[in-house]
Amino acid sequence: MTTRQKAGETRETAVRQDSDIAIVATAQLPAVRRQELTETEMLLMVVDEALGKVDLKRSDIGFSCQGSCDYISGGTFSFVPNLDAMGAWPPIHESHVEMDGAWAMYEAWVRLRHGDIDIAVAMGSGKSSTGDPAAIYPLELDPYYLAPLGLDPVSLAALQARQLIESGKSTERELAEIAARSRRDAAGNPNQQVRTAEQDVDKLLAEGYLRNPLRRSDLPPISDGACAVVLVRGPRAAELTERPAWITGIDHRSEVHNPALRDLTDSASTRLAATRAGGVAGVEVAELMAPFTAQEVILRQSLGLADDVLINPSGGALTGNPLMATGLVRIADAAEAILADGRSRTLGHATSGPALQQNLVCVLEGDNR
Amino acid sequence: MTVSTQTVSTIQFPYKRTLGPVMGRFFSELTARRIVGIRSGERVIVPPMEYDPETGNELARDFVEVGPAGTVRSWTWVAEPIASHPLDRPFAFVLIRLDGADTDLVHVLDAGAEDAVHTGMRVAPRWRDEPVGRIDDIVCFVPGERAETPEGEPGEAQEVTTMEYFSTITYTDVLSPTLVRYASNLRAGKLTGQRCPQCNRVFLGRGYCSVDAIRLGPELDEDLPDRGVVSNYTIVTPTPYPGQKETEPFARASVVLEGDEMVIAQQQILDLPVSEIRVGMRVRAEWMPEAERDAAEITSKGWGTVAGFIRGWRPTGEPDEPAEQYMNRVF
Repeated sequence: MTTRQKAGETRETAVRQDSDIAIVATAQLPAVRRQELTETEMLLMVVDEALGKVDLKRSDIGFSCQGSCDYISGGTFSFVPNLDAMGAWPPIHESHVEMDGAWAMYEAWVRLRHGDIDIAVAMGSGKSSTGDPAAIYPLELDPYYLAPLGLDPVSLAALQARQLIESGKSTERELAEIAARSRRDAAGNPNQQVRTAEQDVDKLLAEGYLRNPLRRSDLPPISDGACAVVLVRGPRAAELTERPAWITGIDHRSEVHNPALRDLTDSASTRLAATRAGGVAGVEVAELMAPFTAQEVILRQSLGLADDVLINPSGGALTGNPLMATGLVRIADAAEAILADGRSRTLGHATSGPALQQNLVCVLEGDNR
Repeated sequence: MTVSTQTVSTIQFPYKRTLGPVMGRFFSELTARRIVGIRSGERVIVPPMEYDPETGNELARDFVEVGPAGTVRSWTWVAEPIASHPLDRPFAFVLIRLDGADTDLVHVLDAGAEDAVHTGMRVAPRWRDEPVGRIDDIVCFVPGERAETPEGEPGEAQEVTTMEYFSTITYTDVLSPTLVRYASNLRAGKLTGQRCPQCNRVFLGRGYCSVDAIRLGPELDEDLPDRGVVSNYTIVTPTPYPGQKETEPFARASVVLEGDEMVIAQQQILDLPVSEIRVGMRVRAEWMPEAERDAAEITSKGWGTVAGFIRGWRPTGEPDEPAEQYMNRVF
């Protein structure tokens, strides 16, 4: 294992071991409202691009894992044709999770920890444009107590946001500020979908409610998209890229499935996952999967992020939300902050389930030269 | 010839779920217009769960009657309900802390107008006339302390052990450029695909090589023969289930297109008793009449289909190919 440093300490002393795993390349398609390419074609493109960045071929890959959801695709076993993106003949070692690609990456990380292969690819893909999320999402909820009520995701997010505001932990103005900041950041990121929308906080607050206390600006867009990351174990990572994004900690925690049975203004599972992933001390950039503005507040408070931590400089899920790839995009963007922008310690977060039920935290570090 | 670039499909699942001893008790009590929670340590959890949400330990089945009135703990206003919502007029989704409970219940509130709703307001259930043991036996909550109940006393609680739930989702699938071309050609009675420049295999209805994982563009389009050989088949004895239209044993065959390795799976063999279908048999496509050709089943999922264009495959009567040639294949 990596010798763990204290917060703020320079990392020149970090010793990377054979068992350490890094992200060496990432690729994503721009999130769009409606993508005419199939999921398989989208995955082909991102896998090509990610492998191309580090001169790898599909035959170099020891294991691959995809994240996608049949309920969103509207086809059974859609991960089977999607696997064509890896070229599955002769047979290859692969897996699939009916989860966001961030969990596919978690499985790929676990697989690399076995120590017998060096390179893995994790993917996430989804086309929310094919269905109506307000009608599909309730089917993810408790089928006895909640699904028959048709509790749609925006209404549930609004129940959560109201509790956050009425408990004094946030304000509608703070939510509007988060929306405005996300839109400003997205304007500079061609991968984001909402890039030209209103950015003035007062104007946002003057807009009517979509679901009181949430306005349209507090909601994510409906998006199609895909993402892939290349994971490499041990010294091979530093051969493939100048400054790998080492995964120094990754953890996933879950809470009770019925959101009404927990404190919606807190995220105990995020806090625990972050602690188990090595903590947030020294984190410079945090990419948090917060599809609703209020959820960013909950995540930031639960993680105890300092005021100077840059949150969602990509524009975040509020400006591009290709379900089943959104979480992996957060981790990919946190990795790129190291690979491309020279940051030293970053955090990627992904969530799944109703109202932040499940949370995955991935802490990444770059070595100083 | 133009083909619509999108297809619309609806998937339906008629679920019937068993409820178990804890939820079963909750739903049974609803039929007598009572709401029960379950004791978990010092707390009363409503709606009841089989296990403690904090520890995962199974709970003793110590049920406690709660409510029926309670206090709103959070709300949002739905100005324009959709079909999957329980009320067809503007309403509020609410979290309600029923009297005697320590957790919140999600339900809906019929309050008339948004400005009539606030956190802390008191609400009570409006009961359905004839309860069946579902969460919507409580039609909704209404402002005030008093439950709205139909005339007459409720009967004894009925034993409720299952819950039916009809799920329906409609998808609108936009076809990829490859599939739009593919469907146009099918409409013209032509089977087309692309040949991979790397492995020389031909692929139909997908736009990439499944073996080499490379995209195949329109420059690689090729007409394919509508003749082939049965490479595998299965005989299905239908059991009735929602959506199954067959009643007699039927065959589904894989057809390898002549001169290539492209397999079209799940095909019908026409004019032949199922017992006479053989691996190696030569067949020819029976196209639907032009006016009946329909791209409704061409979607961006899967590997390309000929459904809606080719009705089935008819034996040509020529001598069979040796069956051994088609061993060791999945399809």
